[in-house]
Amino acid sequence: MGNNVWRRVWPPAVSFVAFVALWQLSCSIFKIDPWILPSPAKIAVHLAEDAPAWSRHLAATLRLVLSGLALGVATGIAVAVVLHLMPLVRSAVSPFIIAFQNVPIIALGPLLMIWFGFGLTPKLILLTLVCFFPVAWSMLAGLGRTEPHLREYLEMIGSTKWDILRRLELPASLPFLVSGLKIAVTYSVSTAMWAEWLGADKGIGYYLIIKFKGYDITAVFGAVICIVTLSLALYGLAALLERRIVYWRPRSRAGRAGDAK
Amino acid sequence: MSKLELRNISKSYVRDKKTFSVLDDITISVGEGEFVTLIGPSGSGKSTMFRLIGGVETPDRGQVLIGGRDVTGVRGLISYMPQQASLFPWMTVRDNIVSALEIAGAARGEARASAEDWLRRIELDSVAGEYPHVLSGGMQQRISFLRALLMPRDVMCLDEPFAALDALTRTEMQRWLLKLWEDQRRSVLFVTHSIEEALTLSDRIYVLSPAPARVLREITVPFERPRRADVWTLPAFTALKRDILALLGEGDGDSDAI
Repeated sequence: MGNNVWRRVWPPAVSFVAFVALWQLSCSIFKIDPWILPSPAKIAVHLAEDAPAWSRHLAATLRLVLSGLALGVATGIAVAVVLHLMPLVRSAVSPFIIAFQNVPIIALGPLLMIWFGFGLTPKLILLTLVCFFPVAWSMLAGLGRTEPHLREYLEMIGSTKWDILRRLELPASLPFLVSGLKIAVTYSVSTAMWAEWLGADKGIGYYLIIKFKGYDITAVFGAVICIVTLSLALYGLAALLERRIVYWRPRSRAGRAGDAK
Repeated sequence: MSKLELRNISKSYVRDKKTFSVLDDITISVGEGEFVTLIGPSGSGKSTMFRLIGGVETPDRGQVLIGGRDVTGVRGLISYMPQQASLFPWMTVRDNIVSALEIAGAARGEARASAEDWLRRIELDSVAGEYPHVLSGGMQQRISFLRALLMPRDVMCLDEPFAALDALTRTEMQRWLLKLWEDQRRSVLFVTHSIEEALTLSDRIYVLSPAPARVLREITVPFERPRRADVWTLPAFTALKRDILALLGEGDGDSDAI
């Protein structure tokens, strides 16, 4: 097991170290000015020195991202279940949801700011909207794609609609829900950056803009590293959750010989 | 009195604006503690008959009676063992049984106790905590049968439960089921393609025609209970087998039998 993990980890680890080394060497050999491209060592030193500032901003962003994710996932699940149980509502509403999903975030963000001010509310709404869609749509697909023979079994023994939802459709849609969550996680961080860029007084996106305006390119790079790390960490958590939830392997299909219906 | 009775059941489907008759005036019955088998060629509407008994579909004409009561189109009165084991992959063996018993109205604790007790009795308690995918096909079908047996329902419907198993496992499963059934004597309606399987297990056999299915003949199987494992060596067995083959009108009708 440990050996296996190592085998998977070392190639990207080596290429990463090589990349950083090349970057560092280029900076010192070609004497590149730090305001054009700071060296990794300079960025590291800066990150260490400015830790209290960026960690406070990162924490604010993390709170925003997690709240938005939670709201988005909750509404996503609720909407998926409602649309699944009510096919008429589904056919009436889904074109709107899909159309709405194509409203550019560039328009949506400023509009929300106009309607709700510069506080937390518009940012939270924006994040919720962005996270909601991938969750709702993958979950809806999962709810509709259950094994026909399991459904047939439940119907034959007289299960209610609620039994079928609880004992078949919801558990079967969990893997779909988690892949939706993985997409939502990646969207959420970049959307938070956009929201903080529009107007904020805290957050790592806000920190980045301030540093840009002050031509502190080393700090900008530091902020980028923080943001990428945050995004990867959240994705890693979602992937871990996926493994915990989908502990049962999918069944291999047995050949179906015999009677026609 | 019959536990289960189908009276003059007819059913047809409309496909591409054409009507296909599937069942034509079927009348059958299963007595208390009786093992009754339906045998017929592929596509003779046996699964449709089960869907009608389960109340998942309704017949064009005729009635379904359980315990003497007209229950046409009423669900939740039978227990069911399908051809594929249909165990839920995210639940352990024990929870699969518990879940089915809960659907049948049992309280969770009671269902759990009953599942564990029975898994021990049939010496499957070692797999109670396993997930279905680690079990062999035969083992999965044992769990599926136990799940059907434990449901507190008047009639058990077994739809070709051994069709997907290899010949050796199939024979083994027939013996296993026979012993368990002879202890319990539940009312069973069983569907199979295999004439030998039908003769080995049943009290009575209905031979069905190709679609639209009619009952060609009702055969009372004369062998005593408990059935001997070598019942297939008796001359009467061979004679009955020949009769049924002739009725089904195809010399290789038992090609999937053991």
